[in-house]
Amino acid sequence: MHSDEEGDDEAESDGDVEEFPEIDVGSDSDGDSEFNSDNVEGDLDEEEVDEEEESDSDAESLHVFPRAKTVTSDITGQPKRVYPEIEPDYDSDSSTEEAPNRVGNVPMHWYDDLPHIGYDMDGKRVLRPARGDELDKFLATVEDPSAWTSAFDKNAQTDKPLSAEELDIIKRLYDHENPDGNYDPYEPTVEWFTSQVEVMPLSAAPEPKRRWIPSKWEKKKVMKILRAIRAGRIVPNKPKTSSKRTQLYDIWKSDASTTLAPALPAPKPKLPTNAESYNPPEEYLPTDQERKEWEDKDAEDRERDYLPQKYSSLRLVPGYDRFIKERFSRQLDLYLAPRIQRAKLNIDPKSLIPKLPSPNSLRPFPTYKSLTFSHPSSYARCLSVHPSGTWVVSGDDNGIVSLWEINVGREVKRWKFSGKIGAVEWCPRTDVCYFVVGIEETLHFVIPPNLPAAVYELTYKLLAPATLPPAPETPSPIKWTTASSSKWTIDTPLLSIQLSSGSGLPRQIAWHRKGDYLSTVSSGAQGGVWIHQITRRHSQAPFKKIRGDIQLVRFHPTKPHFFVATQQYVRIYNLAEQTLLKTLMPGIKWISSMDIHASGDHVIVGGYDRKLCWFDLDLSSKPYKVLRYHSRAIRSLQFHPTYPLFASSSDDGTIQIFHSRVFSDLMTDPLIVPLKILRGHENKEGLGVLQVKWCPNQPWLVSGGADGAVNVWCS
Amino acid sequence: MASTSSAGPSVAVVFTTKTPYPLPTQKFMIPASWKRFHLSQLVNKALGLSTPIPFDFLVKEQVLAASLGEWCAENDAHEETLEIEYIESILPPQKMAEIPHEEWVSSVSCKLQGLFLTASYDGTVRAFDYSQNETIKIGLHAAPITSLCVVSSNEDNHLIATASHDLTAQLSHISTDGSSSKSLATLHLHSEPLSSVCANVTGSHVLTSSWDSIIGIWDTKIPSVDEVADEPLGQDRKKRRKMETDKPKRKGPVGVLKSHTGRVSRVLFGSAKQAYSCGFDSTVRLWDLDNEVCTNTITVSERPFVDLALTCDGALALAASTDRSVFMYDLRAAAATGTPSLMHASTPSCIATSPSSTTQLVTGAYDGMVRMWDIRSTKTAMSTFKPWDGRKKILSLDWQRGLVCIGGEGGVEIWKAAEESTSV
Repeated sequence: MHSDEEGDDEAESDGDVEEFPEIDVGSDSDGDSEFNSDNVEGDLDEEEVDEEEESDSDAESLHVFPRAKTVTSDITGQPKRVYPEIEPDYDSDSSTEEAPNRVGNVPMHWYDDLPHIGYDMDGKRVLRPARGDELDKFLATVEDPSAWTSAFDKNAQTDKPLSAEELDIIKRLYDHENPDGNYDPYEPTVEWFTSQVEVMPLSAAPEPKRRWIPSKWEKKKVMKILRAIRAGRIVPNKPKTSSKRTQLYDIWKSDASTTLAPALPAPKPKLPTNAESYNPPEEYLPTDQERKEWEDKDAEDRERDYLPQKYSSLRLVPGYDRFIKERFSRQLDLYLAPRIQRAKLNIDPKSLIPKLPSPNSLRPFPTYKSLTFSHPSSYARCLSVHPSGTWVVSGDDNGIVSLWEINVGREVKRWKFSGKIGAVEWCPRTDVCYFVVGIEETLHFVIPPNLPAAVYELTYKLLAPATLPPAPETPSPIKWTTASSSKWTIDTPLLSIQLSSGSGLPRQIAWHRKGDYLSTVSSGAQGGVWIHQITRRHSQAPFKKIRGDIQLVRFHPTKPHFFVATQQYVRIYNLAEQTLLKTLMPGIKWISSMDIHASGDHVIVGGYDRKLCWFDLDLSSKPYKVLRYHSRAIRSLQFHPTYPLFASSSDDGTIQIFHSRVFSDLMTDPLIVPLKILRGHENKEGLGVLQVKWCPNQPWLVSGGADGAVNVWCS
Repeated sequence: MASTSSAGPSVAVVFTTKTPYPLPTQKFMIPASWKRFHLSQLVNKALGLSTPIPFDFLVKEQVLAASLGEWCAENDAHEETLEIEYIESILPPQKMAEIPHEEWVSSVSCKLQGLFLTASYDGTVRAFDYSQNETIKIGLHAAPITSLCVVSSNEDNHLIATASHDLTAQLSHISTDGSSSKSLATLHLHSEPLSSVCANVTGSHVLTSSWDSIIGIWDTKIPSVDEVADEPLGQDRKKRRKMETDKPKRKGPVGVLKSHTGRVSRVLFGSAKQAYSCGFDSTVRLWDLDNEVCTNTITVSERPFVDLALTCDGALALAASTDRSVFMYDLRAAAATGTPSLMHASTPSCIATSPSSTTQLVTGAYDGMVRMWDIRSTKTAMSTFKPWDGRKKILSLDWQRGLVCIGGEGGVEIWKAAEESTSV
């Protein structure tokens, strides 16, 4: 607006101003259509249009521009052009302008010292309005109610009251509203463009070329990246480390079944039996009596709920009358049946077998029958192997005692006694050599032939001393008799002990390891246990009274302990202190055999009820291990004196060899490994292998059986 | 070659031999159904021999008994080339005679021409001529005799040594006709029964072994007086006094070999100044007789040996053990080591080697079987025969001049067994 004013001031005839009506006239014809289409133009244009319409009305009659009059100047006398006073009306741009001062936008202090404050439209001075002093101002504020709504007009250098519109604008600004009073924030949206997006907008526009030529810009961009990659500025696709990625885990890994019981399988229906066949074998068919019984019984009491029926062919089988009932009961089964989950053990059966070393790694042990010595038509009831492991004596029920060599099996000497031989034992001493034969109520001491002179001499002196030791104070019922040197030959016993009458057959002879004491167990009613001392020729009964029927006795290999096996218990006595140390309870109904390990800490006990119990004396009075491998009564047991072996023989005709390693440290349990079952004895009248004895310095076993054979088993 | 495989599968075979009848080294394709007889014919034809020689065939230390195909099936050898060694076949032994004894015969010897010497458990030494007549019978010992050997012989007079359970060995003189046979000297050393006695080739020395783990060395000179004092024994003193006049002289040992820890079961003379022994302590020992020391010990764990034999060239020692095998020791090797082989069904109790062949031996076992072996075929015996129908134990064997003399529970049996002529 200002520029327009200035232009007006400086240049009277402007080209632009002259062309102005012509443009308006040219656009006259289609003014209406233009109006509608060009809505975008602002309010200003509307004003112009208004002007144009006015000018249209009297285009020819009215001359728009003021016409200059040429007058002669009073001062100079020169003609000058005088323009009429500008009547600012609606034609003028500043028609609405009331302000007379037309200085423009200049600092007003330029006019501070001047009487005027500027010039009006005609170039006349606008005089400075009078301004009251401060007091007037104050009075004005007091008197004039509109004084506070007036503002200082810089241009007019005076206070001017603000119009109602202006006040309204101020008020709106205060209220943070749109200053335009006509503005309607809630006017309805004009849909300049449709909000509904067409899926396939129809367009007649031809496809632009850019659509099918490769983009140069993209090529540039790609080449830039490519060059950067080649130069190594961009490292393509760094390998994604797992740590950066979100950790994945298997949420199904833990078995849900541990907490939640799996669905229970339905109980299986019973499979049909042969009797349910349409054509069962004859033996399944009920007799008339059975049929009647079945029909008489209540349905609940019947063993089975059908009667077997026979049809010659499947064609003749009628409809199944119990089908509905059976289905129904099956449904009841499924619905009401208590669902018991039977835990199926998923165990490899091999893992249950204890890990035992292979028998091949535990060699040597007896594996085959090397030779047989036979006692014809008799039981080879007892035998004994010489401590040197070279000679065997075996006795049978015919009263024959044979001495034979273990390696050849040739009988070297034979003794005949009256009655059964109950027990035979070699003396364990090495400096003397004799064996004891127990027959009915008598013990005989026999010297074998072919002894070295020194050994023979010593043995002879021991058994038939020149001066008899003093008789014991208390007379004993046991009589010791020595054969007179003139009568004695090697075929007869040198010394005999007459046991008390009625003592019966000595069941067992047990030597103390030093070979001075031997203990006998007699089977008769007046029998019992006697301990005989060879050097003092004295016998004594260690127990006055003892509970139970004594089966066996043993001397402890190292300590002065005495093991007594009754029918069901094994009692351990201390002979020195004469006290009962311990009672072992094997849980066997009838003990048949017992042996003590060479270490003295382990005892094996066998019974007629097929059980074999291993006791660790350090542990408890209950067996450490119970083996039931024999199918018949166990008859005999023995630990090998040097090898880690023991053997058990039974009435089933077998001998079983076990590896039995005993560890010296107390923490390790004994290792018992079954090694071999030796078969070769024949059963005779229900009796099998009656006695087994080890060869002391070889892993060889000698066994005597009811078939009269004494077998040597070699490794 | 294609012509031979006309019927059935065939086996590739290479023949080797140590006999004087070698075939060229060449691969033969032989029908799998062929047996020993066919192979023998093939070799004979290939050699073009005028008189056919029967051969035996060894495949991998086994005598070929069945057909080749069966052997391959048994041993899972279908594709490989078999190397077959052929040896001259030996006729199966034939029984010649049986000499029954009342007692078990513990030792036999047929070293003397025309005589079979037997020692039995009744303490008697008997001699039989070839017509099985008992020519000599002398009761030398009161206890069983365990071993007998001929020390020296000239014409009709022979010196024999016997070992017995009565803790002595005896040197006795026998004459072929049995006219003058008597005990010359008793050898006193051992304190346990004796297990064996043997003499060297010249007959100058005798070795005795005993259960008391020592070995005695004796010379064979008969002393004029007792070298060892009489035992102060009560029982037999009177009897002995009666026989005072021709009582055998009591003789002491020249030396004692002590090293065994168990029963010595057998002692043998090796070459001049050497001896071999085996015992129940699972060792075979080599002794230097001059210094009376053990020069070499071959230890095998847990195998008590019961008998020992040397092959005729002295290269190999064979020891029978109670674990039913026979150990072979190559004595020529610097460190003699043994291999278990010649597995038996029962305890082998005695071994005798062929007097002429280095590879042949016979073993007798407690199951009554005598097995003839060839050490080139260690897995199976070449032939097996049963004296006394295989029911009685065999205790002693001797093999001389093509005769195998078997002593045992049932007496003595003589079998004829051909020996392979050694070409070494």
